[in-house]
Amino acid sequence: MPTKTNFLWSFFSSIKLTIVLLVLIVLVFIIATFLPPQEAAQEFARQLSPVAANVLLFFRLSDLYHSPLFYALMGLLSFNLIICSTNRFPALLRQYKASSFPEPAGIFDNIPQDQIIIADKEKTTVSLAVESCLKAKYGSVRKIDTKKGHVFYGERGRFSLFGVYAVHLSILMMIAGAIIGSTFGLEADINIKEGESVNFVNLAEGKGIHKLDFSVRCDKFIAEFYENGAPKTYRSDLSFIKNGQVAHRGSLLVNHPITFEGLRFYQSSYGTSPEIKAIIAYTISRKKSREIVLAAGDTFDLPENKAKAVVLRVEENIMELGPAVKLRITSPQKDVQFWVFKNIEDIKAANPGLLSEMPIINPGLFKPLVFSLNRIEQHYYTGLHVVSDPGVPLVAVGGALMVAGLMIVFFWSYQRFWVRMEQEKAKIRISVAGRSTRNSAVLRRQIDNLCRRISMEMKA
Amino acid sequence: MNHLMILSWVTFAYFASFVLYLFKMIFGKEFWGRAASFLAWTGLAVQTIALILRWKASYDLGIGHVPLSNLFESIVFFAWAIILIYLIVEWRTKNKTIGVFVVPLAFLAMAYASISPDINNRIEPLVPALQSNWLTSHVVTCFMGYAAFTVAFGCGLLYLLKNMENGNKEKPFGFLGKLPSLAMLDALIYQNAALGFVFLTIGIMTGSIWAHYAWGSYWSWDPKETWSLITWLIYAIMLHSRYVRGWRGKRLAVLAIIGFACVLFTYLGVNYLPGLHSYLK
Repeated sequence: MPTKTNFLWSFFSSIKLTIVLLVLIVLVFIIATFLPPQEAAQEFARQLSPVAANVLLFFRLSDLYHSPLFYALMGLLSFNLIICSTNRFPALLRQYKASSFPEPAGIFDNIPQDQIIIADKEKTTVSLAVESCLKAKYGSVRKIDTKKGHVFYGERGRFSLFGVYAVHLSILMMIAGAIIGSTFGLEADINIKEGESVNFVNLAEGKGIHKLDFSVRCDKFIAEFYENGAPKTYRSDLSFIKNGQVAHRGSLLVNHPITFEGLRFYQSSYGTSPEIKAIIAYTISRKKSREIVLAAGDTFDLPENKAKAVVLRVEENIMELGPAVKLRITSPQKDVQFWVFKNIEDIKAANPGLLSEMPIINPGLFKPLVFSLNRIEQHYYTGLHVVSDPGVPLVAVGGALMVAGLMIVFFWSYQRFWVRMEQEKAKIRISVAGRSTRNSAVLRRQIDNLCRRISMEMKA
Repeated sequence: MNHLMILSWVTFAYFASFVLYLFKMIFGKEFWGRAASFLAWTGLAVQTIALILRWKASYDLGIGHVPLSNLFESIVFFAWAIILIYLIVEWRTKNKTIGVFVVPLAFLAMAYASISPDINNRIEPLVPALQSNWLTSHVVTCFMGYAAFTVAFGCGLLYLLKNMENGNKEKPFGFLGKLPSLAMLDALIYQNAALGFVFLTIGIMTGSIWAHYAWGSYWSWDPKETWSLITWLIYAIMLHSRYVRGWRGKRLAVLAIIGFACVLFTYLGVNYLPGLHSYLK
């Protein structure tokens, strides 16, 4: 048994496995981005053969990011990461706790001449000077006495040993956050017409509806455009109503979500509701009627001859002549249909005599009434995306940890310095040496710096 | 003067700088190197002014925003960042041969931005999705990362070229002897890839935060997101293979080139991937 576990352990603790997994994940990603999107792929496979469609569905090839294959790779990677980290941790801890003395064997052998300073001062003076130099640069100094003289020790950046761990931990945190989000999170959409309110949202991927214990009302939707036609602002004024009272009111803009009761609302789309309303009036013997609000299909009674009118069509813009409604008026004597244009005065002015040529655009066709279209009203609906993702805080902390960890890994190192004093006849020989976990150029600069500092002290 | 006019002069300056770096490499005279560096620094300074002018011009139009909002502006900033990082490397290493391989890339970016008919150089107002404070930090970090990867790529090419010299040791032909040492190139590839990796990481993070506020999801597997992750993973593999398995030299150079290909695909190639529309029609 032990051999088997050892084999498994060494398999999962190998960095080769990490590299192979990363390469496989990259390949999955490349394939996934080149495959057509889900719906199209399923349609295509269905046309090819039912078997192909089933294969595609089973492996979720059309949606590789949520496929068992991808989950397995991510699982293996996480496992590999955990095992690798555990495996290397004791060694790291030893390195972290490593004692400063005795200095690594042979560290002062064959050091270049510029790392050696000859001082002709008294022993205690030199000792104090070296100690203060190290103290100034590295905070604390340790010292031991050997047969030949003192050895001093200073260090910096010991915490950087854990930089790699921070990065790897951050990856696990983000994976955990993603799992929490997809397990306990909610993703939904809802369209709300202006002036209306809803108390449910439609879950993504057709998973039904989710009831809210409050309702959301869209008071107003505004879409603004630049002169070149590009969109400038999409804004929904929303009221969140709880127990019959407005608990929160706010303007929802793209990039500025609103959070209410743990749900985040995003401005994601908009549209116009298919129903257009026309506001019309008519004059009879110079007396103007009140405004009537009508949609296509509505009927209304007229004061003349028991006539009834029905709205056949309401158009936002017909034949580039602007808004218009088509009415049909029936009375015991007559049955007429005609268009009422909002801009009839302009049309008449531009085309004199048109009304007599084309009675269908004459708003006064049903005498003695003359109709006018005051305006039409079209209502927007706003499309909201609704999200709750309890994994976000974990992912955010993971992200911050990763950036911090990478900074430590690449821009810090654990640097240790030893300075040895030896009596040589009347003079004292000071040797400076160092070790670093990485980046020898930085270590080199540090040593040069330290040597300069000590020599200056000696000359002073 | 119009900032677009200034940018075309900058394009020319980068080309001239490249030619001078080439002269320096072939003839070895210090003069050419100094002239090349001078032109590159001047180009960078003038380009900075042009970018500020474009910024100001957008405010004059009443649609003020940082000039980082469309393809044209991003390519111009990319070229700016390449030159900036290259000049820092040159200043630190005192070696001017790398310029022969990096400066022309900045020139090509600038030329592509001004010549390609698909690229619109007008200042356009920001659509609602782009009206975010995250736009600047996201674009700046991503393109600083891309630029560092570009410098690593240039060093990778140089490494492979220099490596050919090892084949005929007795007589290094011509300029190859003047190239920086293999050890130095190796270190430069690593350092620039690491710098780019940190920038790309921050770039992806800021993009995620932005997506969280704009779309309600920090990650949506959009092809661009996926390709940025592919690029990130390629460089992660590269940095691991060096640190843990001791891969150096040629293999590192090859990975720097593969990584750069991924960068280009993430930046430009992704736009040609099949979407729902292209497939159905």
